[in-house]
Amino acid sequence: MKRYLETGNFAITQGAMLAGCNAFAGYPITPATEIAEAMSVNLPRIGGYYMQAEDECAAMHLAIGASLGGMKAMTATSGPGFILYADPYGWAIGCEIPLVVLNSQRVGPVSGITGAPGQGEFYNVRYPTQGGNYETIVLAPNSSQEAMLMTVEAFYLSERFRTPVTILADQLITDGFEDISVPETDEEKEAMGMRFMERKAHQGPEFYPPTDEIDIPPVVLGVGTKALCSDWTPTEEGYDIETVEAQHKHSYRMIYKIRNNRDIISRYETLFLDDDPDIIAVAYGTPARTVKTAVKKAREKGQKIGMIRPISVWPFPDELFKHKAKYLSVELDYDGQMVREVQRAAPADSEIHFFGKCGELPTVAELHETFDKLLKGEQLTRLGWEREAW
Amino acid sequence: MDKLTDKYLRKRKIPSTACSGCGLGQAHKAMVVAIDELGFDFDDIIWGTSIGCAGRQTFATWNGDNFAGTHGRVYAIARGLRLAIPAEKKLVLTVGDGDAFGIGFNHLLHAARSNAQMAVLVCDNLGYQSTGGQYGWTTPTGVKTDSSPYGMFEPNFVDPDRDILEVLKAGGATFLARHVSMDGRSLVESCKKALQNNGFSLIHCVFPCITNFGKNALGSRNTVNMFNWIKNRAAPLGEEKEDTIWRTGIYHDASNTRTEFSQMMRDKVSEIQRRYQNEGSH
Repeated sequence: MKRYLETGNFAITQGAMLAGCNAFAGYPITPATEIAEAMSVNLPRIGGYYMQAEDECAAMHLAIGASLGGMKAMTATSGPGFILYADPYGWAIGCEIPLVVLNSQRVGPVSGITGAPGQGEFYNVRYPTQGGNYETIVLAPNSSQEAMLMTVEAFYLSERFRTPVTILADQLITDGFEDISVPETDEEKEAMGMRFMERKAHQGPEFYPPTDEIDIPPVVLGVGTKALCSDWTPTEEGYDIETVEAQHKHSYRMIYKIRNNRDIISRYETLFLDDDPDIIAVAYGTPARTVKTAVKKAREKGQKIGMIRPISVWPFPDELFKHKAKYLSVELDYDGQMVREVQRAAPADSEIHFFGKCGELPTVAELHETFDKLLKGEQLTRLGWEREAW
Repeated sequence: MDKLTDKYLRKRKIPSTACSGCGLGQAHKAMVVAIDELGFDFDDIIWGTSIGCAGRQTFATWNGDNFAGTHGRVYAIARGLRLAIPAEKKLVLTVGDGDAFGIGFNHLLHAARSNAQMAVLVCDNLGYQSTGGQYGWTTPTGVKTDSSPYGMFEPNFVDPDRDILEVLKAGGATFLARHVSMDGRSLVESCKKALQNNGFSLIHCVFPCITNFGKNALGSRNTVNMFNWIKNRAAPLGEEKEDTIWRTGIYHDASNTRTEFSQMMRDKVSEIQRRYQNEGSH
């Protein structure tokens, strides 16, 4: 085991290398640039390729091309680049190309604030492209260490499900320095829960079987299989076809290969849910760290408060929302994105509340003030964005 | 092309679903003939396509590996793929004028810059015909389309003052030619040269669209008129007449003079690996 005091960007790079990534395409963008830089240093040393693209749209297409040729490929960006992934994202979903995509959320919309954390891409990573008829897999770490682990996991899942997997980080994770342990032996990797999957090539001729089964190898070009892959609705062999029946079969696969195998994807952290808590705070990514501290301290004061932290945020872990309670979704956005999912997943007679802030984490004091009000049954009058100073 | 169809193409897609009278098949055939004359097997070529008429009609016709990119992005996919596949495999791309010179031009230019091996056959039907016939970047001046109802008055990319092939030449392309689909033998020869260049090659090939261009620009769907309209406005380089729009022939042949992209990457990576192994880890 090697220990470092390093950034999340470094940790993500380490994870990618551990997972066998040998192609990376990127475009400079804060706060994910250092991933590209580190890949440009590390990949050539192991015989891999770093490619710098003319824009993010090209970056993801370059990565797709490399994956299509049998390599393990990755790309990384933040919000303004992620929207340019919309085009290739759809292609990779439709052609079922394994790929790892990292989105380090900053403050938006558009360029916004480059060096501050946000969580405005919660839905963007669920619906990264147009057209619908698909599910996505999104993993949201809350530390540098977990970012490394989730990068390894993303490569693993992308091969098994043959689909792009997104790591949803934020600026605090990618830019922040933390203690990171990088495993060196197989035993250490296993002890950390790392899973690995090598690339295989589909031998054809039915490259796109209409089934929810996973572990079907993806299309690889250049290995003599007469492979077909395109942006059009495919027949089972991959010919372009415009029939509702073919689209139905293809959509079924893109949706249900993920929905019906959620147990393989699902990851979360929960705290104090067993004694029927009055409040359940819900948060993912870095704000979940403040929330965790606030919940633990509140417990010390005798308040019955629990916590849910989805790590696999998509598919959204509905199964965790079994308890009737006052739910409080804590997010790094002012518009309340995850709160809608909480509302949908929670028992019908639960109360759903929202605490939003963007560009900076909520403080424990702010969260305690919010818990107190909710426990007293008071209306939340001071949302994070209602500033007296204005 | 029955013999070639049996040898290289998928029966499911031949004949194609192209409109009656479409000239795309002439350009497509020229590339297949060139492949045959150079003795390539179907496993030696990976065939990529774009969207629009040119992409859709040629996708999955090749009896080997086929891929079709989203609008304009096939050059970026091809560049990534080029790195991953064996060096001896050839990439052939059949794409449209809108895809190459409009939506995908940024990626095309960067493919030229990097000199990534791909033989790009731009099958140019003079605008966006599969969407009904709107003007594009090669639509001749004055021509009426569904989106240039008063005649094409925007500057196009084929005028000698702003020739797209000159842009690509300056951008680093190592083989460039222009043809019309009825050129026959000279078009095949250019395709062969493109395939023999281990680098970025592009052939701009104008072909007649009867259904939309013919109807909008010439006022009829008469196939012979449309073919002649193009043929009469094409002349070999150096033999231009006053009304020549397409000067045909080889514009630039620097074949095999620059290191190909994936070769450069492989060489550099080996060099870095050696250096790093000698220095040890740090």
